[in-house]
Amino acid sequence: MSFIKFENVSFNYQAQKPLFNGIDLCIEPGSFTAITGPNGSGKTTLGKLAIGILKPLSGKVLLEDRDISGMSLGEVGGKIGYLFQNPEVQIFANTVIDDLTFIMRIKNIDEGIISKKIDTLLDFLNISDLKQSNTFNLSYGEKQRLAIAGILINEPQFLVLDEPTTGLDVERKKILAGLINKLLDAGKGLMIISHDHKFINNFSGQVLRITEGTIYG
Amino acid sequence: MGKFSLKTDIRSKLAIVLGFSTIAVFIQHIYVLFFILILTISIALIFGANILKAIRATKNLWYLFFIIVVLQSIFNRNGQVLLSISGFPLITAGGIIRGGEFLLRVSIIVFSATMISTSSSREVVQGLIQIKIPYDIAFMVSVAIRFLPLLRNEIKDTFTAIQLRGLDFKKIPLKKRIQVYMYIFNPVVAGAIRKARGLSIAMEMRAFRAYKERTSFLLLKFSTIDYFILGLALIFTSAVFVVFYYFGFPESII
Repeated sequence: MSFIKFENVSFNYQAQKPLFNGIDLCIEPGSFTAITGPNGSGKTTLGKLAIGILKPLSGKVLLEDRDISGMSLGEVGGKIGYLFQNPEVQIFANTVIDDLTFIMRIKNIDEGIISKKIDTLLDFLNISDLKQSNTFNLSYGEKQRLAIAGILINEPQFLVLDEPTTGLDVERKKILAGLINKLLDAGKGLMIISHDHKFINNFSGQVLRITEGTIYG
Repeated sequence: MGKFSLKTDIRSKLAIVLGFSTIAVFIQHIYVLFFILILTISIALIFGANILKAIRATKNLWYLFFIIVVLQSIFNRNGQVLLSISGFPLITAGGIIRGGEFLLRVSIIVFSATMISTSSSREVVQGLIQIKIPYDIAFMVSVAIRFLPLLRNEIKDTFTAIQLRGLDFKKIPLKKRIQVYMYIFNPVVAGAIRKARGLSIAMEMRAFRAYKERTSFLLLKFSTIDYFILGLALIFTSAVFVVFYYFGFPESII
């Protein structure tokens, strides 16, 4: 069973020429998929369709054989995490600890469980020292790792990372590559949207190229 | 064949918007407001405004307006009682009329604003400058016009991102939902501050200052049609007020 499946999906933005016309795509659980292509080719759109942020004009996107258009974003978020191009839009609180815990508090999760979960996660991402830091003062790379931490708190099986290397220097890219390998080792599936071929070549999996609405394997 | 649209100076459009909005705010008469709304939509279409796009863009605002209309209908006790529960008047004819007036009033303001959207943001700023609005304020308007779509996209992304953290808005109680909305403000405000800081640095790097004396490549010129529209807007607005307050309109239907 595919984890994400595109069935004859067509999509276009208002008053624009069709971006995708009847595409089919299968993404397996725990796999690595890189989506590449020139600017404006629809890489981000494909990622947003995969997670249900955008709805196809025709065709279906299935998540574990269920039509994603019938699922709420909250429900999808429990299965797939999405890292936006700009991680700043997904940092919600003034401190790192508050940002990672407020959703669990809203859901009335026990404080002991929250604390244990946060410590494990911060340790996994090597950002334990930032626990009490103000989110406004974090560097871009730190914000990105915090955004990933916010995603992982839900324990999703799959992550979609949209242009994760933008604005990162060589050293930060190495840290990110290490983190991605760690996530793959932990059994998480990953889809990376990027045109940074050098970065993508660090991982083994399928590389898909989008050109003029067609996906080439 | 291209869609017809009348090309006029932004200042004549501003005069119409000002006139119609003033009528909408001060005149409490459902027939007058209905007539002004029809006139507003017709003129906006003549100027080439996209009314359907404006409705779509303000979709969430209309839900809010509708709630206000319902509340206004419930809390107004004038006129014939149309629905009562255990002798307590819940909906009255007066309440429905007041609710209708409110809806017409906000519709006039929203649709008259679409007339301004038919000019470019540069023309709007130049129009404000040429009617002697201080440059600082005119510039603020231009920045708001420029950044509003970006801000809207950012709010949308933030709202999506918070739901993707596993929050199902429909399933959480109202009190907690308000708490979540407070968290949405954080990245939006932080993003706005960051953008403002970036913009001010970029402008200063280009030696930009809000000097009072300025030269502009774009100069707006009034044509005959603009003088005609300006005069008509003034006469029409004044006439509505004179007829309404001096001669008195027919009594309201309640």
